[in-house]
Amino acid sequence: MPAPTAPDPGEVLDIDLVKRSQAGDTRAFDMLVSRYRGRIYAMTYHMIQNETEAWDLAQEAFIKAWRALPRFKMDSAFYTWLYRITHNVVYDWLRKKKIQGDGEFDDSHTEHRVAAGAEAVPRGDAAPDVALKNAELGARIQQAIAKLSPEHKQVILLREVEGMAYEEIAATVPCSLGTVMSRLFYARKKLQELLKDCYENTD
Amino acid sequence: MKTPTEDHDLLRWLDGEMSAAEKAAFESRLASDPALKAEAELMQRLSADLRTHLPAEMPVPYADFFNSQIQVRLAQDENQQMPAPASEGWFAWLRLPWLAPAAAVLMVSLFVWQNGAPSGSADSVVHSIYVPSAAVQARSFHSAEANATVLMLEGLEEMPADRKIVGFNITRTEVDEAVAATTLFGTDGKAVAVMAKDARNQPLLLTSSTPRG
Amino acid sequence: MKLATAIFVLLGAALVTAQDTPPVQPLPAKKPATDAKVWGALVFATNDAKEAATMPKVDVPAAYADIPQRLGKVFEYQRFEVIGQHLQDVFREYESWVVPTKDLFLKVDSKGPAEGGGMNLHLQFWRDQQVIVKTDAVLKSGSPLFIAGPKWRGGQLVFVLVLQQGK
Repeated sequence: MPAPTAPDPGEVLDIDLVKRSQAGDTRAFDMLVSRYRGRIYAMTYHMIQNETEAWDLAQEAFIKAWRALPRFKMDSAFYTWLYRITHNVVYDWLRKKKIQGDGEFDDSHTEHRVAAGAEAVPRGDAAPDVALKNAELGARIQQAIAKLSPEHKQVILLREVEGMAYEEIAATVPCSLGTVMSRLFYARKKLQELLKDCYENTD
Repeated sequence: MKTPTEDHDLLRWLDGEMSAAEKAAFESRLASDPALKAEAELMQRLSADLRTHLPAEMPVPYADFFNSQIQVRLAQDENQQMPAPASEGWFAWLRLPWLAPAAAVLMVSLFVWQNGAPSGSADSVVHSIYVPSAAVQARSFHSAEANATVLMLEGLEEMPADRKIVGFNITRTEVDEAVAATTLFGTDGKAVAVMAKDARNQPLLLTSSTPRG
Repeated sequence: MKLATAIFVLLGAALVTAQDTPPVQPLPAKKPATDAKVWGALVFATNDAKEAATMPKVDVPAAYADIPQRLGKVFEYQRFEVIGQHLQDVFREYESWVVPTKDLFLKVDSKGPAEGGGMNLHLQFWRDQQVIVKTDAVLKSGSPLFIAGPKWRGGQLVFVLVLQQGK
């Protein structure tokens, strides 16, 4: 998976911060938190679409990582390891929450709702302002993602946001390659269906 | 009608999981199959839009507070495990300029933690525990998240599922002079139970409910 | 009140006929002096929404409305239903009983005020006719005590004790 932007020369390497953290240096760990909180928060946020809960889960992930540091063998990149911990924290949390319907989330806990006027452009009208259309699409995408089950959200986010290869996704979930592919396919088809009107009218 | 392998091919092509040979073969299929091509393009567009609108990194609200909260919890962890003096790391970060405003508050709370909740602490404390049964184990701890003190018991025999546990809503009691007994009254003013003593001066709780079956 | 009288009569008879009758504890003529007030509750923790919905519960005063949420931080369940509650004086000389249900209840003995506020208490957690645990604790208002009780119907029973602020 693509690593986050490499630290500038002169900036401390992850491995050094990790070693110092393992020795109990909370300031070194604080630097790791600053370095990766944006990515971890984005991950939790995309999975649960609730700012407050995502913030709490991101905290939990870092706390769990601190506690698990003694067991981190540095056989993978720190971020990969941190990522896996976060993923488990979020997934455990999602499993605890109520799931309504046939395995798909209701969107009552999502913060993003389509504004009343943000509807698909009817055929024949002049093309709307591109920026507005983009914002609408963004909100619609968030809403559509929220409707997926945790399993399907996981794979689509791991693929599209984290850019993971199938093998990596299979190792992270964990599940078989076949399951990765069928979930990805289902998730994309489902999203296409939910966003049908956003794609209908262009070229 | 597409076969499952065709779906997988489409996926693998889209996600760059095909070898060069497979890719070439698939792309020639696309050229000759307009329906498949349309589907592939739609999927590509969706992928691109997802990547655009789901950023990999997002600004954390109250980012400084996010960090300082983590540090507080790290310190609490350390105190729960090691009542020994603080490690070098603790005091090192007090020198960080951005932490200065919070440092005073933090130092007080850390000091309190380190000394094991002295009388000035606002937390309830369980001092000593005695469990008559050898099968049951007890331990107590303070939960900062719940802001509560917990007495955890393990090894208790489960309550039978068919046991009907009747809750009371007791707002008033009356200690009776005739015998060593306390009458417990519910919200409607009716007596719901009497706490009395048996012949061994042990508590005997009597209610009007039918005997458990 | 008739029920209580009937029970007293029976008890009176039992006491008289028992061989080694311990002396009846002398009781003060008026309401005993109190050191504090406590709120005790029995909570049913469960992941089963149906169980939670059908469990008869009591209306909890606003002061304790956040207890279920706080319990959730300690016990890994989704729902916390308060099935019984009892607001009780803690007597200075006499033992006090906190009985939110007849199945699990608490004996509370005051050991006087604690340094820095709060109460020193001797607590006995009873289940039916047996003591499960005896403990000496300092209870401070705003800092509840959660006692993990037995498992029941796929969930767990938790006893909550809170010292009321003021007297």
